[in-house]
Amino acid sequence: MSFPILLSLRVASLALLFVGPIGLAVALLQARCRYRLRGLVDALVLLPLVLPPSVVGYCLVVVFGRRGLVGRMLEEGLGLRLVFSPAGAALASAVVALPILVKTAQPSIEAVPAALEDVARTLGLRPWEVVFRVTLPLAWRGVLAALVLGFARAIGEFGATLMLAGNIPGRTNTMPVEIFSAFQEGDDARAGLYVVVLSVISIVVVLVAGLLGPREGRSAA
Amino acid sequence: MSGAPALEVDLEVTVGRGAAAFSVASRFSLPSGVLVLFGSSGAGKTVTLRAIAGLLRPTRGSVRLAGEALFDWMRGVDVPAERRRIGYVPQDQALFPHLDVLGNVVFGLPRAERKKPGAATLALLDELGLTALRDARVGSLSGGERQRVALARALAAEPRLLLLDEPLSALDRPSRLAIGRSLREALARRSLPAVLVTHDAEEAAAFGDVFVRFERGKPARELPREVVLGEKGPCPHCGKP
Repeated sequence: MSFPILLSLRVASLALLFVGPIGLAVALLQARCRYRLRGLVDALVLLPLVLPPSVVGYCLVVVFGRRGLVGRMLEEGLGLRLVFSPAGAALASAVVALPILVKTAQPSIEAVPAALEDVARTLGLRPWEVVFRVTLPLAWRGVLAALVLGFARAIGEFGATLMLAGNIPGRTNTMPVEIFSAFQEGDDARAGLYVVVLSVISIVVVLVAGLLGPREGRSAA
Repeated sequence: MSGAPALEVDLEVTVGRGAAAFSVASRFSLPSGVLVLFGSSGAGKTVTLRAIAGLLRPTRGSVRLAGEALFDWMRGVDVPAERRRIGYVPQDQALFPHLDVLGNVVFGLPRAERKKPGAATLALLDELGLTALRDARVGSLSGGERQRVALARALAAEPRLLLLDEPLSALDRPSRLAIGRSLREALARRSLPAVLVTHDAEEAAAFGDVFVRFERGKPARELPREVVLGEKGPCPHCGKP
């Protein structure tokens, strides 16, 4: 009964561990650098938000599946198989969490005055030191909100997860997938349990993100 | 340093893109002391200052500090800002709001020195009258105090050149006098060359040894002291002719 809950928590945490640093790096890049392909990167980041989840899942299978280019490399090189595995569920969750992560973190990074970063450079800090000693300490509210929202998006992922990781009881049946199968089997009580758990997580997330939101922020004054 | 001028600048900097783009050309040299960039706003003074600091990349030219090339377009030299050891005090001071006064002052120092400020840091706080304020939040400081903190922060990192963007313009008259005096003493004590941006001829005359005038659309040029003084009488309050 509790397996899907723990699995979902594990999958979402793993997804966040993977996509968190990537999302923050992309947010920093988009907030601070003006380069030629910036618009293209912006569009690519938004894509998982706009594409139907089944399409995202299909693309992931094509790339990361057993016959996909990356999938074959991972399996032969590292012995890591993503299809029908919790790691695959984490990858699907990570991809759909990316847009909300970047789009929430980016404005709070943009709000840090560039002059502060400039001064830090002249005081001898290398660019990555500036990120850790100026940008992130001042943008922490938005960054934390981004991670929290990303976690919520990751834990709720259904379509792409189902395509890549399938619905294997005791292995890849995360809560959203389990709700669907319990509902199909007519086991409304079981479906209802996970509905309540996911709803509670979502409500907590929305409240926390609201507390961290810009309305309250007097951060970078 | 075998007689090389403290600072030699020969730069063309382009900022903005498309129709909004404009170029600033400037060429000047400072044997020692204080170089004043002056002229109306929007003429490219701040842009030139930022190019000297290494914060934006000039289109061509060179910057030499005591004979060492920090930027040389012809030879492909571009020392990154963090290795130039040039102190920068921007117009709004840009104090770090997440740190107290001491945290700001020691920001550019090695970790051990940041944890436990040494004698040099304490002496610097004392020199700029910040000892009593060391634990104050920067949000609670007055304009003059903010300027002192920004100055101390730049000096603590032991720069080879100090860049000051309108350091006095936002201050009331008494703090102008006090900060101006502290600034001159701090530079003289360290024999530290400086570049100061101002739109105020009085301030220019009070600080400068060499003067460069910026006008929009024209190359910046050096002016003799008398011309600067002629634009306005000698500084009536700070004593310097």
